[in-house]
This record gives sequence, structure tokens and C-alpha cells, in this order.
Amino acid sequence: MPDRALKVVPSAHQAPLPLERLILTESPDAEAVSMDVLFVGGGPAGLAGAIALARLVKADNEAGGDLGDVQIGVLEKAGALGEHSLSGAVVNPIAIRALFPELKDKDFPFRAPVGGERVYFLTRSRAVRIPTPPTMKNHGYQIASLCEIVRWLGEKAEGLGVNIFTGFPAASLFAEGQRVTGVRTAPSGLARSGDPKSSYAPPTDITAQITVLAEGTRGTLAQAYLEWQKVASDNPQIFALGVKEIWETLTPLDALVHTLGWPIPKDCFGGSFMYPLSRNLVALGLVVGLDYKRTSDDVHEMLQRMKMHPLFRDLLESGEMVEWGAKTIPEGGYYALPKRRHGDGLMIVGDSAGFVEVASLKGIHYAMQSGMFAARAAFNALKKKDTSSASLKEYDTMIEGSFIAKDLYRRRNMRLAFQESNFYVAGFKAGLMTVTGGALPGGKIASHPDAAVARAALPPEPFVPDGKLTFSKLDAVFKSGNATRDDIPSHLIVGPDITPEVADLYTHMCPAGVYERDGERLVVSPANCIDCKATDVLGPRWTPREGGSGPKYRQM
Amino acid sequence: MANVFAFVETRGTDVRKVGLEAVTAARMLAEKSGGGEVHALLLGPPGIAAKATQVGQYGADTVIVVEHPGLANYSPEVATATAADRIKSGGYRAAVFSTSAQGRDLAPRVAARLGVSIVTDVLSFEIEGDSIVVRHPMNIGKVIATIAIAAKPAIIAMRPNVIAPARNAKAGKVENAQPSIDPATARVKVIETRQGGGGKLDLAEAPVVIAGGRGLKTAENFKLVEDLASAFGNAAVGATRAVTDDGWRPHSDQIGQTGRLVSPELYIAVGISGAVQHLAGMRTSKTIVAINKDKDAPIFKVADYGIVGDVFEVIPALTLAVREAKKHH
Amino acid sequence: MKIAVCVKRVPDMDVRFRIGVDNVSVDEAGLKFDINDFDAWAVEAALKLKDKVAGSEVTVISLGPDVVQETIRKALSMGADRGIQLKADKVPFDGLVIAKALSAELKTGGYDLVFFGKMSPDSSNGVVGPMAAELLGLPCVTAISSLEIADGKGTAKRELEGAQEIVEFSLPAVLTVDEGLNAARLPSLKGIMAAKKKPLEVKPAQLAEPQVTVRKMELPPERKAGRVVGEGASAVPELVRLLQTEAKVL
Repeated sequence: MPDRALKVVPSAHQAPLPLERLILTESPDAEAVSMDVLFVGGGPAGLAGAIALARLVKADNEAGGDLGDVQIGVLEKAGALGEHSLSGAVVNPIAIRALFPELKDKDFPFRAPVGGERVYFLTRSRAVRIPTPPTMKNHGYQIASLCEIVRWLGEKAEGLGVNIFTGFPAASLFAEGQRVTGVRTAPSGLARSGDPKSSYAPPTDITAQITVLAEGTRGTLAQAYLEWQKVASDNPQIFALGVKEIWETLTPLDALVHTLGWPIPKDCFGGSFMYPLSRNLVALGLVVGLDYKRTSDDVHEMLQRMKMHPLFRDLLESGEMVEWGAKTIPEGGYYALPKRRHGDGLMIVGDSAGFVEVASLKGIHYAMQSGMFAARAAFNALKKKDTSSASLKEYDTMIEGSFIAKDLYRRRNMRLAFQESNFYVAGFKAGLMTVTGGALPGGKIASHPDAAVARAALPPEPFVPDGKLTFSKLDAVFKSGNATRDDIPSHLIVGPDITPEVADLYTHMCPAGVYERDGERLVVSPANCIDCKATDVLGPRWTPREGGSGPKYRQM
Repeated sequence: MANVFAFVETRGTDVRKVGLEAVTAARMLAEKSGGGEVHALLLGPPGIAAKATQVGQYGADTVIVVEHPGLANYSPEVATATAADRIKSGGYRAAVFSTSAQGRDLAPRVAARLGVSIVTDVLSFEIEGDSIVVRHPMNIGKVIATIAIAAKPAIIAMRPNVIAPARNAKAGKVENAQPSIDPATARVKVIETRQGGGGKLDLAEAPVVIAGGRGLKTAENFKLVEDLASAFGNAAVGATRAVTDDGWRPHSDQIGQTGRLVSPELYIAVGISGAVQHLAGMRTSKTIVAINKDKDAPIFKVADYGIVGDVFEVIPALTLAVREAKKHH
Repeated sequence: MKIAVCVKRVPDMDVRFRIGVDNVSVDEAGLKFDINDFDAWAVEAALKLKDKVAGSEVTVISLGPDVVQETIRKALSMGADRGIQLKADKVPFDGLVIAKALSAELKTGGYDLVFFGKMSPDSSNGVVGPMAAELLGLPCVTAISSLEIADGKGTAKRELEGAQEIVEFSLPAVLTVDEGLNAARLPSLKGIMAAKKKPLEVKPAQLAEPQVTVRKMELPPERKAGRVVGEGASAVPELVRLLQTEAKVL
């Protein structure tokens, strides 16, 4: 990286988390809705947790237990389940099988079992086949659409009497001393100015004995809780941004494909995936670490360029893009996990806790399993009538003793190796880690938060999308189903001193075109936001906004 | 050989264009079924009888004139009863209405009263043996259904602007008749018909529609669109939902999935990005032109011709050019 | 007041549709469904009256298979009091069949007002409301964009092409609702919970024989790709030339 270039350090321009808004010490409204256990987030973690808890309660009641009617709620910010869910995905079915022991694999909402796999190293013009690294072997797993999994889980949950509230984002936690006593949802129907329009609906207060935060990647309330409670982790959490598309193709894709190398710059971590969802439907995407080194690094654009490579072009050229989306992925692994994921009246599950294994790109089964553990701990707590931190510690104990912790520990330095060195050295280290089952290189590699990494302010390589194979961010956002009203108030908190170079960083960081540099200043179009959370990691802070805003993913 | 009934929509003492479309369509249907007569029903206040000749010019063998002072405004119950009675007694093969606002109110009632089904928003029709087979758009125009109507009479309501009224002078023999019920006893009374905006050409009838969107930036800038419309002379002005939601234009100007469906010869989209729900309202226009400063705007995908540019520069230039072109027409 | 609202479950229109293998239906795989927007406005109109007139009750009725219960529950979570599902394997294509089944049920209810949405975007026919009114022998005003009810009478506005009608009608009556009458209230969290406890009766639908049949459903022909003629005001002469000579619309 040329030293002469101006350097931008994102953290210098970020606003802090608005804790005073996110953690409320006032009492909930007298009219508050009362729940026993509330799951914040209707993704795989929250829904699996709600289902597991409902089943435990049902079994207990049928066996003569005295719990009675336990009100379980799931709050989901999207207008319908699945609309904000996005993943590759290749799923390890271990958790869903454990959740539904009475069902067979064919009953689960998977698309197809993994068949062949191929890994390539790409240069601009060539694709070199390399042996599949053992960490990426997916035999025995299932190709799936996370949206479909979530909708399926939602039906199961509703069948069990779980209250699912879609279109209700949790905007704040209620705290009484150290205890979390519930949440307040976001209002809707505010104008850009902040004044209520005729469609205004005020926030709703919900009290709960136990609140389970299952907000997914870079969860706002999870961050707020951990900061408020001063819960540390060995390493800061770090993130990658994945931009994904679904294409209808004329010819079928016959295997899982992963690529490394071009067009990801050598000093960036990442790779691409391409999975067959069905005979003529393909999911593909590019995942790049947010510790990239230039303000002009643009993951959406890298994906567009990548599609022009013959390996992809040949398959996609005669087809049509039907969906587009993006989401960040926590990549810090074992050492970035918060040391405590429970508290008085609270647990944190899934991506919000960081349960993602980068080397294998897996997180869905960890999300579900952690939700199920939280359900078990919540059930026991309700039985004991003790929802204190000491009681809910059982959740963390279960995590530590499970395959979640074991898997993450084994691969604990994998991603971090890439922070240190260039790709090839890192690849060697990663290989070493795999071969030695994590024993070498030992110790713990320290990591830096993405926002602390300096980026050179360099101009981008010009790129003009053709509108057929490659797309502008505006066209892409249209395909995410985002129909957020234009006059929505901005949910993004812009920090200090936004220089033109910082504006450039934001412009390229955001896959949805929320940020644009106009002359010297930053222009923000918050309605474009698809809730990927890249902005929260590197730029303006993301806060919960009106329910139903954002993308409407269908098969992502 | 089968006779076909046509309902001729009026407003006050004027025959509306969609009324003549119904007569032309009825004529076409009659021809397709081996020849037959077209009987047209004309309801209105005193003075409507004078319009019978015009109706005859467009293909009616008989014009049933129901002239009554209580019919200064549309009277749904009178129209329903009178049309239904006539269709029943006349033994018609089919009855043709329009899918105008009035037609949507009237035609289904007539059908229900006669105990037969109805298809509205019909694009085309054929006779196939004992059935009348029509094409009808569904799913905001994304699907076209071909539907066979077995009922007799077959009741259809044509999409406005799809059948051009065609002169085909027939006898136009006037038959004076009374309304089937006394307008004073109607339980639904239109007490006033308020003209909107004075003499503006209606969106569904205009051969040219010019629609403005958010790209115009303010309500006042709609003047640009109105100027272009007046340069054409036969154009109506429409708007997108974004713009009507903001109150820049009246709700009735909204072209889109939940607003007006239009199918003009020429549709010009000014400063419109092309949201799917807008496209649904105009995608069947014969020629679509788009002007937008964003070359990636989705509207360019459906436009036959596009200009990427600043609407504030392009529209005035286009207005001048159209005026010139019309001068030499 | 006793008010009824007839509602329909319709697919999200913002997708590319596929024709089913039978060629006479739309493939429902992957489609997302919700209450017809027009019917949501109809429910809102009913609820506004309920809010104004003490002791009123709103009944929501839908015809179709068990999935329509979701749609009825949505209306209940907005504030309607009870629901009725007229159970049928499929929603019939023939509007008259639907109108007959609904009016058979409505006849027994003694309703002061019956609301329908003006039309549904899938079938796009817009006939069920006025047909039901006719079968019930009730006055009917379609496509209302404003409404006032007082002393057993009503006044409504209807949008016409370039004009507006002011209509007076007596109760009981059937009204169909157009966009612009109101904005449907979002179900509150409490409303969603309360809806689970409200009564939802299931009865078999009385279906008559249809008089129309679908011969075929197909996607409209693709519009031929157009082209950008140029940039800025300088492209205007070329556009005009094309409109004159090629498109022949000028």
C-alpha cells in the first residue's frame, strides 16, 4: 500500500453507541405486554430457541408440571419471517435434527444434499483447481435457502403457540439495576423530520422474565448490553461482508464451487461461493473481510467483476439475476466471543454472540443449537423461578461443553492468521492449523477491530456495470425487494469530521448505495439500507428503525 | 346470427368515448357470430335523445333511448334494472359494457341480476362454438388469462382504449323507453357529479399520456409536464404513486397497480424511476418513452426510447420540438 | 352497528409469475401471500365506524381453504371481532360463484353495512362486491374514496375519470372501497395476541356451478428491448424523428 496516500482510520469518524437510548432505566409502560420469554430476532437462533422452549414447556405440562401457560414471544424487525435472512447456505443438519428428532431428513426445508465440490484459485483470466481444504469439506451437509429454513421454523413455532410478531423491531432494553426486564419496540410512521405522520404507531413496551437476544450479526442491543455490562472478550469481534445474488440459469450447476484469489486484493481475506439451489437456480456470493486496506475496496463491485470471469460468466450469461442482498458475518471466532453471554434475565445467542466458524463458513447450526441451549436454560430457570445470572449461567456452561465451543476453539486462529500476514503466508498458517487440529501455530493471535485498521484513500478503478451480467448498486437494491418509503427518518448516526476521503470509504463500504460522495460532502439515503450492518462496523452507527423496512429476501 | 347489446355510457347529455367503444365492440361481436343486430341503450337527462344518431353512426341498429329528468346524474339502480330488463327481454347473445368507473359499478350488477357471470377488463374476444372466449389480464398485467364464457347472455366489459370507436353507420332506429324503476325511488342517489380540473382529457381516454415522477423535484415543476401535454394537444397528465402520496397531484392521476391502468398510443415517463407498481399501470402502452437523469433507472428497461438527461433541460426542448412537429402536421 | 367485511388472501404482486404445469393457473410455489390491500382498507373503514359507534361489531369473512384463516386473523389483529371461513378447496375463478357463496352467508347476518375491497390484483375483475349486493338486494356504492354514515344514511364520494360523484344511500348497504379512503392501521402487538382468542368459525362454502372456464393462462409477450436514444436536450431531435417515422405516434 503506497505510503504517500492519505490514510483513513474509520474509528476516528464513528459515533459511539447511543447507550442512553438503547438501555432504558425508566419503567416500562403500565400497558406493557407481558411475556415470559422473549426472543429478540426471528432468525434460526431465535426460532429454534422458541420452538425448543415451547416443546419443553409442553412436555412438562403434559407430565403434570406446574408451569402452565408460558408466553413465548419472538420479535422480528422484518415485515415477514425470512425477509432479512441471508446466508450461502450449506447447512450442517445436526441442530435441526436434534430439534426435531421425530422428523426425517426429507422433511426438513433443505434444497439438496451436497454433491460434488470444487475449489479454485482465480486469476483475472484463469481458474486453477486446487484440492478442497479439509476445513471446507461439506460432504453430508445440505444446500439450503436460509429464508426457507426460517419460514419453515416459523410455521413450526406458530403451531406450538409461539407468538411471532413481525414488523416489530426491538429498539431498547429495559433495565432495572443489572437486570434486563424487557424491551421497547421501535415506533413507525415518522416523517423524515421525526414528526409523526397520520400512520404513526407508537412504540410498544414488552416485559419479559427472560430476554434472549438473537439479533444476528452485529446485533445492536447485544452490543449495548455487553458495553453496558462491561463484558470483555479476548479479541474484538471482526467482520466480513458478504454480497450475494441468486440467478436463474439455463444450464445447471453440478457442484458446490468455492474460489479464492482474484478479484480479492492480496491483502484482503475472503473468497466466493456458488451453490446450486435447484436445476436452474444458483446462489453465488463474495465474502471479504472488513479490514480491507483501501477506501476504494468495494465488495459489491468485486462481486460484479468476479462474474465477468469465465468460470462464472459462462454459467450466468444466459441467465437472469432474480435476487440480490448482503450481510456481514462475525469472523472473530473463539477469542472474540464475549466472556459472558448471559446476565440477569438475559442471554445472547447465535451470530450476536459470534458463533460462526469462518474456515467452514458455518453458523446456522451453531445459531440453532445455541438457541436450543438458551431454551433449556430458560426452561430450568422458569421451573426454579430463578432467572438470575447465576441461574442462566447454565446456558454458557452448555455452550462451553458443546460442539459449538469445541469447533470454534479448534479453528480459533484461522481467520486471525489473515489479519497478520499476506494471503499466502496466512494460507500456510491456516493449513498448518488444520493439519495439527489447531495445535499449531499456538497461542492466541491478537486482533484489531476492523474500524481501527487504516485504509489508504485511493481512487477506485472505474467500473461500468452492463445491467445484464453486472449491476449498479441502485439496480441491485431493487432486487433485494427493498421498498422502504423514501421519507423514512434516518436510522444512521453519522460521526464526526466526515472528510471527502471518509465519504469515499462509506460510498464503497456500503453495498446498497446508502452513502454517496457529492462534491465534498456525504449524502445519505437511509431508505436504501438493507441492514447488512457493514455501516455499524466501519461507518455511521446503525440503529433500529421502523418495522418492515429494509429488504424482502425470498430465497436468500 | 345473434344480436348483441351495448351499454352506451353517458355523462349528462354527452356520450362518452367508452360508450362508442362498447358499440363498436358489440358490432364486431355481432359480425363474428355470423351477423346480427346491435342494440344500444342510451340513458340520460332530457337532451340525450339527440345523441342517438351518433350512436347509430357507430354501428347500432337500434338505439333504446331512456330520457328522464331524474337521470341528470348516473343512477346505478335505474341503469341496472333498465339494462337487465332489456337484456333479458331481448334474448341477446352478449352484452358489452366498458370497464370504466361507471362500468365497474354497473356491469357486475346487471350480470348478477341476470344470474350470469361476467368478465371485466377484456382485451379481445372471439366466438368459439357456443362460447365467447375473451382475454383478460390478471396479476397486474403480468399474466393473461384466456377465458371461455358459457353463459348466455355473455356479459363482458371492455378495457377502455383497446377498441377504437369505428364509424359503421347502421339504421340507428330510435326506440323510446322508460326507466325500469322510477329514479326518485332509487336507494342510491348520485346527488352531484363534480367535474375535476375543467375539461382535462381523461387518462384512460387520451391517446398520449405524460406522467411525472419524483424526478420533477417539486409540485410546481409539474408545469413542465403540463406544457408538454398541451404541446401534444391530445395528452393527459398522470403521476406516480410517490408524487400523489406527497399530495403534488390528485389521487385520481396516479398511474399504477392500485391506481389507473392506462394503455395509450404514447406514454412519456418524465423523471420516473420505474418502480414495478408504476409499470403495472402503463406497461401495455404502445410506445413508451422515458426521460430520466439516471441511466440505470429501471424505467429504461421497459421504454422503447429513452433519453438520459436532466428533465429540466430535456422537457422544454421536447415541448418546443413537439409544437414544431404538430405545426406541420 | 353490525358490520361485515369480506376479505381475500392474495399473492404479493412484486414477483415474476410462472404458469402452472396445467397451463390454467399461476404456480403458487414460492409466492408470499397477504390480505388484499383493498380489503385491508375495507377492514379499516369498518373499524373506524366501530370506533365511532359504541356497541358495534365487525365480522370478517373469507372464502377458501384453511390458509385463509391467516388472512382472517390479520383482520382480527387489526381489531375485527370475529371471523368466518367459508371453506372451499380453492377460491373459485368465477366471481358470481364467490358472490353467491358470500351472500348466502351475509344474508343470515343482519348486517347494517357490508364492505368489500374494490378489486383484487390477482383476478383483477372487481365484480364480487357489486354482484353480492345485487344478490342480497341491497343498495351498493362502489369504489368509495370518502365515507360518512349518520342516522341510517350514508354519503360517499366516488372517483370517476376526470370527475367525482357525491352519492347518498340508505342503510343497510354494500360498499366497495378504493384506495385513498384511509390507511389501514397496523396490527398492534396486543392486537396480534388478542386475535388468537377471537372466535373464527369454519363453515362449508356453498359453491354453485361456474359459468366461465379458464382455457389458458400465459405470460404476456416480452416487450422488445428499447434503446437510449441519447443524452440531454441534444437527443430530442432524434427522439422526435423516431416517434414520427418509426413509432408513428407523432
